[in-house]
Amino acid sequence: MTGIRIFPLFGQFWGVGQRSASAPWAAAAPRLQTPPRRQRAPKPRAAAPQPPPRWSQGRKRGADGKRRKTESDSSVFDENKYRPSDNRLDSFTTPEGPGPLSRCSDWGTAVEEDEMRTSVNKEMARYPWVFKMNSDSKESTVTVELETDEVVLMRRQKQINYGKNTIAYDRYIKEVPRSHRIPGVHPRTPNKFKKYSRRSWDQQIKLWKVALHSWDPPTEEGCDLQEISPVDLGEMETESVGSNSTESQTSCQDNDDTCSGTPTKVRHVDYQAEGEFDLEVCLGEPLKDFDTVS
Amino acid sequence: MGETGKEEYKIQSFDSETQKLLKTALKDPSNVDLEKVANIIVDQSLKDCVFSKEAGRICYTIIQAESKQVGQSIFRRSLLNRLQQEYKDREELRTRSLQAWICYVTFICNIFDYLRVNNMPMMALVNPVYDCLFRLAQPDSLRKEEEVDCLVLQLHRIGEQLEKMNSQRMDELFSLLRDGFLVQEGLSSLSQLLLLEIIEFRAADWKMTDAAQKYYYSEVMD
Repeated sequence: MTGIRIFPLFGQFWGVGQRSASAPWAAAAPRLQTPPRRQRAPKPRAAAPQPPPRWSQGRKRGADGKRRKTESDSSVFDENKYRPSDNRLDSFTTPEGPGPLSRCSDWGTAVEEDEMRTSVNKEMARYPWVFKMNSDSKESTVTVELETDEVVLMRRQKQINYGKNTIAYDRYIKEVPRSHRIPGVHPRTPNKFKKYSRRSWDQQIKLWKVALHSWDPPTEEGCDLQEISPVDLGEMETESVGSNSTESQTSCQDNDDTCSGTPTKVRHVDYQAEGEFDLEVCLGEPLKDFDTVS
Repeated sequence: MGETGKEEYKIQSFDSETQKLLKTALKDPSNVDLEKVANIIVDQSLKDCVFSKEAGRICYTIIQAESKQVGQSIFRRSLLNRLQQEYKDREELRTRSLQAWICYVTFICNIFDYLRVNNMPMMALVNPVYDCLFRLAQPDSLRKEEEVDCLVLQLHRIGEQLEKMNSQRMDELFSLLRDGFLVQEGLSSLSQLLLLEIIEFRAADWKMTDAAQKYYYSEVMD
């Protein structure tokens, strides 16, 4: 409805200027009871930044260890919903929005994505001299070499979360403190900020998760390793011909957890202790395809 | 949790079994059906306006507890999706029960106020909250004192935050409110007063000025 601009003749209607006790308006007008209290949300207790959320969806087992029904197996970011033949991108960015938005319509998922995005941004904000997003790249040669695409980072983070949300990972980090890790022997979380091709990254993740299985708890069903399916390179997204081998394409296939025997994690892990982003390593190591899990 | 806990979370209105369930959810979330808890909380908030005004608090605590204990967010997800369901059917809700509709708006605004994601309000709720407020600013709602009262209360509580998230929609909302105030027929004088007060409040950058405090909230000496 278009507003009709009426300029009230002050004094005529409201008795302004007659704000004495005898003003008829003042006597007749209702008064408000009490000023509404402004409720403030409580400040979060923890001083440390929140870790990325766990993804209970997509886990074969629930928090109690029981296997989940198949309907709930669909992953939180089930990009399988978006068929490869569907030409729509599975995320989009609006100018006024905070960043890429997934084409999901439920609030639960939207908030979880939001949370992950802000967590990743917080990680990056810890190293502003590295991740100078808006300034000239001539100043910082490092920026060019790192992965900063939010869509990519979020997908990778999600894959990492899947791996970390396991009892095996929990047991691993308890058993082997970071300082005691031997490269080549102990699995290391792939660094999402490094530039890798899609194929290379997916491969690293798979190898990492396979390696973590060494710390699976013993189960009554026997050896966990027997249920691990071999790495199926055919499932991984193929890069388009002629394109640069970087993760510029969005994918419709997500990295499913092919190792059905992975027990889900029940306990919370402090991501801060883990520290995914190893700046020295990131800047020091030459960029090459990762062929062993170190 | 003793009496202070009950008072804080306003769960006195629940039966004792449900109270027990909620208390467990607060302390030991992995041992309860969190989806059920979410539904109980939403159901109650649609019936009990006192509860819905502060239900964000108990939700916040359960979410933190779940995150800390098992690092998951089942409760939050169930809560939000249920909230979304009600949002989709809000027009029917309003037709069915004005009181329940008012409770719903109070609840969703309270959730927006309390539940944050990495210290930021939930983006996903911004437009739905605005949609609810816009609905309250429609002529048929302005004619109902309870809806006007709800509208201004929510704006007092979350208006400033909401405006930061999307100032254009706030401008549009206040256009409606000004129009309503000036032109709308059937507004009670209390409704007019409420609208005038919130218009001034926002104009003063969401702060209460002494003059406004004196005018709107002080006793008139006769």
